[in-house]
Amino acid sequence: MYAFDFVRPKSLNEAVEALQPEEAMALGGGQTLIPTLKQRLASPSKLVSLKGVEEIRGICRDDQGRVCIGGGTTHAEVAAGVPEYPALAALAANIGDPAVRNRGTIGGSLANNDPSACYPAAALASGATIVTNTREIAADDYFEGMFMTALEEGEIITEVRFPVPQAANYQKFEQPASRFALVGVFVAKFEDGVRVAVTGASEEGVFRWTEAEEALSSNFSPDAVQGLSVPAEGMIGDLHGSPEYRAHLVGVMTRRAVAAAG
Amino acid sequence: MTVAKPLPHDAAARHVDGSARYVDDIPVPAGTLHLCFGCARISRGRVTAVDLGPVRAAEGVIAVLTADDLPFDNDVAPVAHDEPLLSDGTVHYAGQPLFLVVAESHLQARRAARRAEISYEEETPILTVEQALAADSRFEEGPRVYGRGDVEAALATAPLVTEGEIEIGGQEHFYLEGQAALALPQEGGDMIVHASSQHPTEIQHKVADALGLPMHAVRVEVRRMGGGFGGKESQGNALAVACAVAARATGRPCKMRYDRDDDFTITGKRHPFVIRYRAGHDAEGRLLAVDFRQFAVCGWSQDLSLAVADRAMLHADNAYWIPTVRIESHRLKTNHQSHTAFRGFGGPQGMVGIERVLDHVAHRVGRDPAEVRRLNYYAEAEEGALSAPLGGSAASPPEDISAKKKDLQERRVTPYGQVVEDFILGGMTERLLETSGYHVRRARVAEWNARNEVIKRGLAFTPVKFGISFTLTHLNQAGALVHVYQDGSVALNHGGTEMGQGLFQKVAQVAAQVFGLPMAAVRITATDTAKVPNTSATAASSGSDLNGMAVRLACEEIAGRMAAFLAERHQAKPTEVRFRESRVEVGAESYSFAEAAKACWMGRVSLSATGYYRTPDISWDRIRGEGRPFFYFAYGAVVSEVAVDTLTGEYRILRADILHDAGSSLNPAIDRGQVEGGYVQGAGWLTTEELVWDDAGRLRTHAPSTYKIPAASDAPEVFEVNFWQAENRAETIHRSKAVGEPPLMLGISVLMALSDAVAACGPGYPALDAPATPERVLAAIRRVRGAA
Repeated sequence: MYAFDFVRPKSLNEAVEALQPEEAMALGGGQTLIPTLKQRLASPSKLVSLKGVEEIRGICRDDQGRVCIGGGTTHAEVAAGVPEYPALAALAANIGDPAVRNRGTIGGSLANNDPSACYPAAALASGATIVTNTREIAADDYFEGMFMTALEEGEIITEVRFPVPQAANYQKFEQPASRFALVGVFVAKFEDGVRVAVTGASEEGVFRWTEAEEALSSNFSPDAVQGLSVPAEGMIGDLHGSPEYRAHLVGVMTRRAVAAAG
Repeated sequence: MTVAKPLPHDAAARHVDGSARYVDDIPVPAGTLHLCFGCARISRGRVTAVDLGPVRAAEGVIAVLTADDLPFDNDVAPVAHDEPLLSDGTVHYAGQPLFLVVAESHLQARRAARRAEISYEEETPILTVEQALAADSRFEEGPRVYGRGDVEAALATAPLVTEGEIEIGGQEHFYLEGQAALALPQEGGDMIVHASSQHPTEIQHKVADALGLPMHAVRVEVRRMGGGFGGKESQGNALAVACAVAARATGRPCKMRYDRDDDFTITGKRHPFVIRYRAGHDAEGRLLAVDFRQFAVCGWSQDLSLAVADRAMLHADNAYWIPTVRIESHRLKTNHQSHTAFRGFGGPQGMVGIERVLDHVAHRVGRDPAEVRRLNYYAEAEEGALSAPLGGSAASPPEDISAKKKDLQERRVTPYGQVVEDFILGGMTERLLETSGYHVRRARVAEWNARNEVIKRGLAFTPVKFGISFTLTHLNQAGALVHVYQDGSVALNHGGTEMGQGLFQKVAQVAAQVFGLPMAAVRITATDTAKVPNTSATAASSGSDLNGMAVRLACEEIAGRMAAFLAERHQAKPTEVRFRESRVEVGAESYSFAEAAKACWMGRVSLSATGYYRTPDISWDRIRGEGRPFFYFAYGAVVSEVAVDTLTGEYRILRADILHDAGSSLNPAIDRGQVEGGYVQGAGWLTTEELVWDDAGRLRTHAPSTYKIPAASDAPEVFEVNFWQAENRAETIHRSKAVGEPPLMLGISVLMALSDAVAACGPGYPALDAPATPERVLAAIRRVRGAA
C-alpha cells in the first residue's frame, strides 16, 4: 500500500468537496478498494470515506413504488431491508461472507463495476436508476465495460432506485474458493417485458442478453430459452473456467433463474 | 485399560481455547529478528544482475544474505544435496529463494524483500510431461520398472484389452499453521531451533551442516505442528537453516514464517501424475495383464521423489492380484516447486491408476464395478494361524487340494514379490456392501437415473490396501526416553512429532497402560533431538507403531526394575508384581504408585530408561523391486454416493459409508478423526483442489481465494464410519494398525462415483481426469453422450 491521506466527511457536500483533487478516491465499504491498494494497483493521494455520510444510507420507497437504496447502504442492510423485492434481498444476502456484507456497500459495488460482482446484474436487469450528487443515470447508460462506468471524476452514487418487477430471480454459479460469480444471471419480469442481465461472464462486464429477453418476453418459461446460447467469444477465460464453460453456464443459469422466478 | 479407550486428544481443549502453543506463539527474547526470502519471478534461467541496494536501505533491515554470504553448506535437500538454500544464480522455479532479508519485524522483512531489482536471462521452462520426456529431464538414469511375467505376450492373447490415460493433479498441503522456525543462538556457537517440522533430526542435521558444527551442537525442539500432511517432512529445512545462519551472523534470535502466498509459492506439493494403462482382461472383467506407465512430475529438485514414485509403483496393484504386470515409472524433473511427501506418499496416485483401470474394465464388460473389483481381489487370509492348512472341501481329492492351495498362494503374491498374508478385504467388502445397502441402492440409483434427465446419481465402492513401513528399511526404527519421578509422575519423550494426529495421546495411553496409571499422571513432552537422537520423520503412518513400541519397551524396563526391587523386599517373584489402578501390588502388600516410586528411589533404583524399537521382518531392494517392504497392510473400504447436475457439472457427495481397519485401535476416537479427515482430504484432492500454473510456470492458485480445500460443509451429510474390529495379525503395539495415511485413499471412491454418474448420461466411458472440477465433469458428460 502506498501512503495516502484519509478524510471522513459528515455530509455529501463535504464529501464532494473532498473529492475535488484529481488523485482523490471515494471509499465505500472498502471490500474491493482496500485489497486493490494493498496490491499497489491504485495510488490515490487521498481516500474520502463515505461511511460518515448519513444522508446516503438507508432504504425507502418513492411515489412510483421503487425501492430506493442509499449508496452507502451495506449488503447486509439490503438483505434485511427490501422484503418487497425478494430477489434483490437474496442477491445481497449471498454476496461474499458476513464480513463483506457488513462492510461492503451498494454504491461502492456499482461504482467499481467488477466484472464478477453481483449488484451490476441486479441494477441492469431491474432497469434501475443510479442517482449521483449531480444527476440520474439509467442503468442501461451506466455500465461501460469491465471496471468502467459513466461516473465522472469525483461523482458519488447517492442512491439506487429499483423498479420492483412482477417476478425476478438471481442465479449465481460460484467459483468455489472465492465465491465470486463465475457466472451470475439476474432475470426480471416486468409488465412491459423481461430483462436479463449477466455478470461474471463477459470481458465487457455486465451485459443484457437481449435474445433471451425477447424470447422470455413472449413466453416466460425456461423452455423459451432452451435453444438459445451466447457465443463463447468475448467471454472471460481464466484459471477458474474457459470462455466456452462460461458461455454454457449463462444459458443454464438463465433457465434456472426463470424457473425459480416462477 | 487406558489403551483402546476413546479419550480426547491431549491438547484438544488447548486447540479450542487458543492456548496450544505453535512456533509463532513462543515468546521471543528482546532483539529477535525476522526473516523473509526474496524469490525468483521466473521459472527457469539465470540471474544476470542483482541490485540489493534498495533492500538494504529499507527501513528495519539489518542484513541481506545471498549464497555468497553462507558460511558453510548451502543446501537444504533431504537426500540428494541438490537444493541450495539460496540460488547460486541459476533459477529452477518461480518462487525459488534468491536472497534472505533479516529485519526488525516480519513486515519490514517482507516489504524490503520486494525492493530488489533483479534481471534474468530467461530460458524455456519444462512444465509438462511431454516437455520433460522430450528433453529427457528426469531423476535417475531412466525409468524404474517393476513387475512379473511377459506383459506384451499376455496382452496379445487377452480376450479384451482396455486402454486409457488419467491425469491426476497435485495437492497443496494447506496445513493451517504455515511453515515456521525460530533459532536461538547459544554460547560457543551452539544453536537451539524451534521448528514446525515432522523431522527434527533432519533439521538438526541440515542446520549443523549449514553452521559447520557437529550435530551435538544443535538442538531442535518441536512441540507441535498445526498440520503437516507430509509438507513439513523436508520443506521446513529452508526456514530453519535460514534462521540458524542469520542467528549466527547477527548473534540475535531469528524467526521466520511464510505468509500463505509465500508458502504456496515456495514449497512443494503432492506430485501430479499422468498414468497410462493397457489392461488385458476377460469378458467377466478378470484382469490377466496390466501395463502401467506412471509419469511423476517431481519439480526441480529430487527431494523425496524417488521414494514417492516407488510407493506409487508399490500401490499400482492396490487390492488386486494381477497375474502379469509391468509398472514403468518416470520421475520427471520440471521447473516447478519441488514436489514432496503428502499423506499417502505416491500410494494414492498409484492406487487411482488401478482403480481407474477397474472402473474402465467394468464399464467395458458391462458389469457392476464392485463385483469386478471383488473378482480380482488377492486371496483372503485364512482364519486363525497363518500356518493352518488352507481351505478346500474334505471330499476333494488330495491333488485337488494341493492345486487349490498353490493357486491360493499364487493369488497372494504382489508384483514386487511380497506375499499378502493378511488380506481381509473379502470379509470387509461383504460386510460393507451389506451395511451400506449397496445392492439395493445400486438399483435405486439406476431407477433414479432412468427417471431423471438433469440430476444423475452415481455410486461407487472402492477398497484400500496400503503398505505400512518406510520403504527405506533403515528408517523403521524409533527411540524413547521415559522418566518416573519420585512423586510417581511420569514424563515421556519419543522421536515422533505431534501434528494434530493424536500421536502423543496414543503413546501416552500406552505408557499409562504399562504403569497402571491414569492419564493425568503421564506427561508427554516436546520432541527434542537432545532427548532422543537419530529419529526418523513422523511419516509413513508409522508414528504410533514405532514410537508406541519404543515407549512401551522403556516403560517395561522401568516397571521391571521396580518390580524386581519390590519383589525382593517382599520375598515375592517379580512376575507377581502388578501395576494397576495407580497402585503397585506385591503379594498382600499394596503401594500407591507414588510410594512405590519413592521406595525405588530410596532403594537406589534407576527410574529412567530409554526404549528402542525396529520393525522386524522387512527387507527391500528398490532397484530390483523385490522383497518385503511392508510389515503389514492396512485396509479400508468405502461406498460413496454423489449427485451430478448434468447441466453444469456441479456435484455433491450425498453419502459415504466407510469400514476401516485400524486393527485393535489404540484410540477409536482419534482414529475416527483420522478416517473422516482422510476421506475428506482425499475427496478434496480429486475434486475441488486444482493447482494452476501458467505458461510461464508461475503458480496462479496461491491462496484460499483461488484454491478450494473442502470445508466442513463439503463432508457428506450421511457419513457412516465404522471399524473392522480385528487385531492386527502382525505384532504391533497392542495389535493396532497405522491409520494416518490409508483413509486418504478412501476419497478415491468419490472420483469413481462421479464417473458412475457421468456414465449414466450416455454410452461412452467418462475417462474423468482429476481434479474432477465441474467444468471437467461437464466435458466428460458431453464425451459420453457424443459416443452415442
